[in-house]
Amino acid sequence: MALLPESEFGELALEGFRSQLDRIPSYSAYARHVNPGAGGLSNWRDIPAVPTSAFKSHDLSAAPAGGETVTFETSGTTISRPGRVRLSSTVAYEASLLRNFATHLLPDGAKLPALVFGPTRAEAPRSSLWFMADRIVEKLTTGGTWVVRNGEPDWGLADATLDRAMKDGAPILLLGTSILFMAYFNRLETKARKFVLPAGSRAMDTGGAKGQRAEFARDEVAAAFDRHLGIPSTHLVNEYGMAEMGSQFYDDNFLAYHEGRSPKPGKQIPSWVRTRVLHPETLEEQPDGERGILVHYDLANVQIPIAIQTEDIGWRIGDRLFLEGRLLGAEARGCSLAFERFLEQERLTRDAGAVPPTARSQP
Amino acid sequence: MTAAFYLPLGLEEGLETIVQRFGPPHDAMDLHLPVVGPDDLLRWIQVLREAREENLARRPIAGIIRSLDSVSRRFLDPRDPARREAIDSLARAGRFTAPMLERALDDAFQPVTRGGITKWLSSELGSVEALDRPAPGPGGALRRAHGPEWMLQIYAGNVPTLPIWPIYSALLLKASLLAKTSAQEPLLGPLLARTIAEVDENLGACLAVVWWKGGSGHLDRTALALAPAVLAFGGEEAIASVSRQSQPDAVRVLHGPKVSVGYIERRSLTYAALRGLAARAALDVSLYDQQGCLSPHAFYVERRGEVSPAKFAEVLASALEARAHELPRGIVAAEDAASVQLFRAQARFEAAGIAAMSSGPAGMPPGFGGMSSGGSGAPSRGATRVLQSSGTTTWTVVLEDRARFEPGPAYRTVRVHAVDGPEDLARAVQSSARLIEAIGLEARGPERVRIAAAFTALGVPRVAPIGQLQRPSPLGTHGGVRRLGPFVTWSSVEGAAAKQAAPGAATAPRAAKAPRKAKSKPKRPASRSSVRRSPRKSPKRRR
Repeated sequence: MALLPESEFGELALEGFRSQLDRIPSYSAYARHVNPGAGGLSNWRDIPAVPTSAFKSHDLSAAPAGGETVTFETSGTTISRPGRVRLSSTVAYEASLLRNFATHLLPDGAKLPALVFGPTRAEAPRSSLWFMADRIVEKLTTGGTWVVRNGEPDWGLADATLDRAMKDGAPILLLGTSILFMAYFNRLETKARKFVLPAGSRAMDTGGAKGQRAEFARDEVAAAFDRHLGIPSTHLVNEYGMAEMGSQFYDDNFLAYHEGRSPKPGKQIPSWVRTRVLHPETLEEQPDGERGILVHYDLANVQIPIAIQTEDIGWRIGDRLFLEGRLLGAEARGCSLAFERFLEQERLTRDAGAVPPTARSQP
Repeated sequence: MTAAFYLPLGLEEGLETIVQRFGPPHDAMDLHLPVVGPDDLLRWIQVLREAREENLARRPIAGIIRSLDSVSRRFLDPRDPARREAIDSLARAGRFTAPMLERALDDAFQPVTRGGITKWLSSELGSVEALDRPAPGPGGALRRAHGPEWMLQIYAGNVPTLPIWPIYSALLLKASLLAKTSAQEPLLGPLLARTIAEVDENLGACLAVVWWKGGSGHLDRTALALAPAVLAFGGEEAIASVSRQSQPDAVRVLHGPKVSVGYIERRSLTYAALRGLAARAALDVSLYDQQGCLSPHAFYVERRGEVSPAKFAEVLASALEARAHELPRGIVAAEDAASVQLFRAQARFEAAGIAAMSSGPAGMPPGFGGMSSGGSGAPSRGATRVLQSSGTTTWTVVLEDRARFEPGPAYRTVRVHAVDGPEDLARAVQSSARLIEAIGLEARGPERVRIAAAFTALGVPRVAPIGQLQRPSPLGTHGGVRRLGPFVTWSSVEGAAAKQAAPGAATAPRAAKAPRKAKSKPKRPASRSSVRRSPRKSPKRRR
């Protein structure tokens, strides 16, 4: 899946941007504020990027008020309210997420039963992650089982589903947040239980929410999948996504396994996405391989701005995206600030045991 | 190679250590860290308790004060190797620059030298002597103060000098100390302990200052399960976990994350005073790169002064630029710079929305470079402007025409809010007042008294002049809690006997190691404050 040619991407992005200038008043005001010539841009790189935080303070949707069919919430804190992503149509969103997921987890065309380590869409209607899981289960699998019910994980249900898969010898697809998987593995450890899932079983795990990315080292998660479920690292695919983007980024492990080659490092930038990496101090564009702030341009963002400025740090090499976790050993600062961060952490810690994060804005 | 821990003589022998790289990648230091297991902790605690019994429990306070005063003077002496090592090693670690560290050491040690320690003890305990023997207290009773047998202290790394007063406070209360340093700043605590040991080996015998890996839950649990007194600084999560794991009857003083703000009354907003005021405000913001709980994140500035809030914001911006040369920032991680950039973009977003709502021109483009402004001309009500350092995240000032309380990402990012009076601030912080450590107040005469009173009504622990926010006094509180008081229990002698005993008690010579057969177990005091106290244990004899 190569990137769209530069000229084609640029044309589509600028066309989308011009339409958004007309349809999203707060974005239009911002774009014209930072660039009075915004209406006549000729380079997609000049499209003003919206800070993810602006979804908390402003309505950034082209969907008519009250006309939305879904509203995703991004993470909020006790001081700031959660951000809102309103969509009246999820056509582009679904097209992007399904195609991308199928490419990276179902390249063999398998139709498998799904076990979701998370709640149903009905239970978490404001979560883009569980919306995504819902669409995947409906369109790409033979049916799903959801482990979280009424805000509580039903581990017995997970045990029973995995038991059945083993007995039937039928491979299974697992989806969920890393933190919930690891909680389950912890429980298997204490119960001295393990599964060896049928060959062809595979899993997608995601950081799920801001502040969670340094919870577990990547190889720790992979080792746990192998040890507890018999899912080798070739069949474990990590995803990075956010409520403010219609597109997601996946590891190459399983696609590479399917194609009989060694996996490419980093995550695949979807062909309809561009990620710019900006120097954290100067905001100059960084060359390939140099780390900086990630700004995404996503053509699947039809009703919300295409260009999104994040707080995430990473680097890019060609069409591969590399994400940087928080420095190991970095502790929450005491008696100080970074309020967003610690309040977020507090909220997640409170929620993590029972309810998986229902909103995500960062990997 | 730097030993990033301090253990008393004897405990260091045979200790396994690991080497950890610390600091910026291009100039990392090799730090020696001990490999700590629960058994080590148990042994250290036992040794510290015995050392206290041997060296500290009956030692006259005057000698302790003398030694700590010498330690302070060493850290204030620019030629002293202890001060030099503190500045060199912390500057090399990169989070703070040398000029910042020079200032930080002066601010931390000056108040605890030249009689400062005596003033501190007297202000909290009524007299210094109360630590040695019953001394006259309020209401004619004689009172004697007891510290805990030992303390567990857990430090945060946001402000480098944070461990100094806590380490002093343990020794002044004749308590041994086991301290856990922060992974962010593991250097100053051990260095101070080593210097104390150099000056006074008996005090040094009662200290262990060590870092162990955060999240090594069993070590935290081991220490917390035994500690009769706990003083901890940290994030909400760390504090909650200390609270859960400590003994229910232990004295616990726990400091979670907080921030500060400033308030400027209109009569102080004169052109004559503007530059000085802005310089002081910029100092409060710049010190510790705004990492401290005393770092202001917003200034609430009254309208209708000779100088407008917008003008103040501009001059504050220039003052921040000047401070950036005088007190340069330390290394800012990419993640933190990204947060500053997002903060700026968000502020521009809000400025644009407001510009769009008003019928006026959209304003000049801020661009990403230059000292740029996101608003147009004089801000009308609702206008927001973003002033920022050129080509870096060094400083950011956001002008807002309304009051709200939303702390920024630190690293010298500050909001200036135009307000009509202190009630605007009170309304803005109402639901978050518990998160405010101090308010810097610029006001004169009766206005100052009136406004300060209004702020104390919010329960804010400290109101201080702008420019003095980062120079708290040990005589004051931290988080509204005194620094020694919560850890002290009292023996009182009341009535006629007290009057008769008083002169003798005050003059009778007392051998430091006199047998104390008559010493009775102090009564458990009635607890009046919310601070939890442990029943005092009679000190254990070494043999």
